[in-house]
Amino acid sequence: MVEPVVHIENLTFTYSGAAFPALKGIKLKVYPGQFLTITGPSGCGKSTLALCLAGFIPHAYPGEMSGAVYIQGKDTREYPAGGLAGIVGLVQQDPEAQLCTLTVRDEVAFGPENLCLPQAVIQERVDNALRSVGALDLLDRQVHTLSGGEKQRVAIASVLAMAPSLLILDEPTANLDPSCTREVLQTLERLRTEQGISIIVIEHRLKSLSAISDELLVMDRGEIIQRGSPKEFRRRYVPTDVGTKPRIAFSQPCKLHVGLVNKEKKDPLLMVDNLRVGYQDVDVLSGISFSAYPGETLALMGDNGSGKTTLLLSLLGLLKPRQGKIYLSGQDVTGMKASRRAREMGLIFQNPNHQIFEKTVVKEAMLAALSLSEKAPDQIMAGVDRFLEEFELRQYKTENPFCLSLGEKKRLTLVSVLAYSPRVLILDEPLVGQDRHRLSFLLNAIERHRAQGGVTLLVCHEPDVVIACCRRILFLEKGKLLINAPVDEALAQLAKMGRDEYLPAWEKEGNPDEPIS
Amino acid sequence: MNLSRDTAHRGRISGLQGSYPGLTYRGSCSRAQHVHPLVKLVLLLSFSTAVIAVPSVLGQGFFLGLLAVFYALAGLGSTFPLRKLRFIYLFGLLIFLVQALAVGEGVLLWRFSWGPLHISIRSEGLREGLKLMMRFINIIGSSYLFVVATDPNKLAYALMQLGLPYRFGFALITALRFIPIFHLELEQVKNAQMAKGIELEGLSLKNLLRAVRYLYVPLVISALSRVDNLTISMEGRAFGLHPERTFMSSQALSTKDRIIILAIPLFFLLCYCFFSR
Repeated sequence: MVEPVVHIENLTFTYSGAAFPALKGIKLKVYPGQFLTITGPSGCGKSTLALCLAGFIPHAYPGEMSGAVYIQGKDTREYPAGGLAGIVGLVQQDPEAQLCTLTVRDEVAFGPENLCLPQAVIQERVDNALRSVGALDLLDRQVHTLSGGEKQRVAIASVLAMAPSLLILDEPTANLDPSCTREVLQTLERLRTEQGISIIVIEHRLKSLSAISDELLVMDRGEIIQRGSPKEFRRRYVPTDVGTKPRIAFSQPCKLHVGLVNKEKKDPLLMVDNLRVGYQDVDVLSGISFSAYPGETLALMGDNGSGKTTLLLSLLGLLKPRQGKIYLSGQDVTGMKASRRAREMGLIFQNPNHQIFEKTVVKEAMLAALSLSEKAPDQIMAGVDRFLEEFELRQYKTENPFCLSLGEKKRLTLVSVLAYSPRVLILDEPLVGQDRHRLSFLLNAIERHRAQGGVTLLVCHEPDVVIACCRRILFLEKGKLLINAPVDEALAQLAKMGRDEYLPAWEKEGNPDEPIS
Repeated sequence: MNLSRDTAHRGRISGLQGSYPGLTYRGSCSRAQHVHPLVKLVLLLSFSTAVIAVPSVLGQGFFLGLLAVFYALAGLGSTFPLRKLRFIYLFGLLIFLVQALAVGEGVLLWRFSWGPLHISIRSEGLREGLKLMMRFINIIGSSYLFVVATDPNKLAYALMQLGLPYRFGFALITALRFIPIFHLELEQVKNAQMAKGIELEGLSLKNLLRAVRYLYVPLVISALSRVDNLTISMEGRAFGLHPERTFMSSQALSTKDRIIILAIPLFFLLCYCFFSR
């Protein structure tokens, strides 16, 4: 009989000072070569489970643990933090934060060197690990020059060089664009089939994973609430928030756009004319022209490096264009200072930690409005109060915003922008790190903004969200605006171009009955 | 905003590097690349010690000439140090002027009076000024050359293989790894401030304090948020599990390197003896 690689017996873990256990009565077995996907809302205990499997809990994180975790028959309680290195490999969400050396060669050799292996063995392991993830050509590259997908593959290779029996990946594609995501998932599939490594992936985005997983497992509030094969799962598990929404078919007009204004009868709120932007000698964007009409929500899509962020920064005046004009309500704002333009354009960056400045949640929520809104402070306060209530942040009003979770911080940054009601809302990948439940906050805010005649520019790689709330897609490739078309037309063009990674899963698989998540 | 293969990101990084007058390793100075980093380190330490110890103007002049030779040997030519160190020369000139005007000993060389204002330059002031100016340029110039001509990664690995505890070595490597990330994050924080309409222009104390809080608090928080990830990543790959570790790439010293390392301090000791007579 085959012994399981992972055997968890009734595991319960409560962090020190926490009122409730992060994990409750977990029972799990994972066999050699098995591919398991774990999903669930933010804070449900997925990452805690990963830390238990890698042996960091109970050693590196104080708390109370009962039950047991056995990895290849070894009780994790008997090994120090990192003591299971070589048996379990953990790859984390942010590839940037987990690479600790300057070159790919040093990074992949780092683990075997720590195991005090001989030079020749290390060399062999480095070559094999990089070959396994298809990254042998990156051997001599500097880490900071790699793309997101390349960094994540190097991170996987650096763990593989330890020759683990179990590979755990905690949201490995959260920061990656669809092309890089496909690259990483193909690597995982190859590792499982060619090397027989057991793989556990923790992920919110299940579409691509369901095709390669043997088993899907759903967690909520520290417990495993559902488990089954991907097929079984599709029938049984429909997340409550999106499950209640009507299914939006590929060719149907979006529900949210019914009653939209006719373009010809209104002037554009935002118009970009032949924009060219660059850094030093390189043009990052060129020939960018588009218009956004009141009540329109536009999706901005494209690979990493295609110029999406540069476009957003240019719109707000944080980068000066080399050529071209930007008009807001017909007024040329190209030369206007960013701090003045901010009144009409609210930009939310991807990382909330960079845009929180105040000591309390309520002060942070009011900060931008106090300098940008013409309303009196008490009116601003009343508005902020409403938003904090709506976004489930009111209970944290007097707390330090840096103590909030990532999802809460993201909601706070959205509140701080909504508080001064800019006419153009620019959101840079607001879905990263958000579970499906919290998605409804964002969708409601966008819909309300649209209904008030505002324009939203949404950088998003989730086709279902784009279909659900956007009217048009702007698709950038290598600094050029390749597609500027209504959603269904744009998706058809992407399909023709072979960019399947940007299409909804049900469209790729030809299964229109599959639920959205 | 993803940090990866973004031309924008690269552009901003290199743009930022430009604001630190080229104070970064230049892999292109090919001739210096082949010298072992420890040889360069011993050369820097010996040179700096001799510059501080030698009291004569002639000696400092000799070291300045030697420094110019080192720049040429490193393949950096003469325009590179002239361009990159122009602020250092200006500061050196200021040191010279202060010394020349402040020291009131020696033979009077020049005097200027205008009403109650009397300015005089004496031989000792001139000598002290020249000495301090050259000493300053020699120290900063040699350190600068070391930084641009030495791969910090190779230096750290060489020091670890020589016996430096590997935890210290990796502290240096990890710090270097995150410098470009923090540069980029600083830009992002500034952008986020402008996006919120926060203007911190003006020289008031209040603005200065706000600028510090608004810039550095997000940066520090961001840095701290990476600590857990980095710790898990490093410990998960057995960092610290054993008191020793092995290395894939050897940075061993050759016999020639060892002889040079012994010869360098001797050479500068002779220089000291010669110029201190």
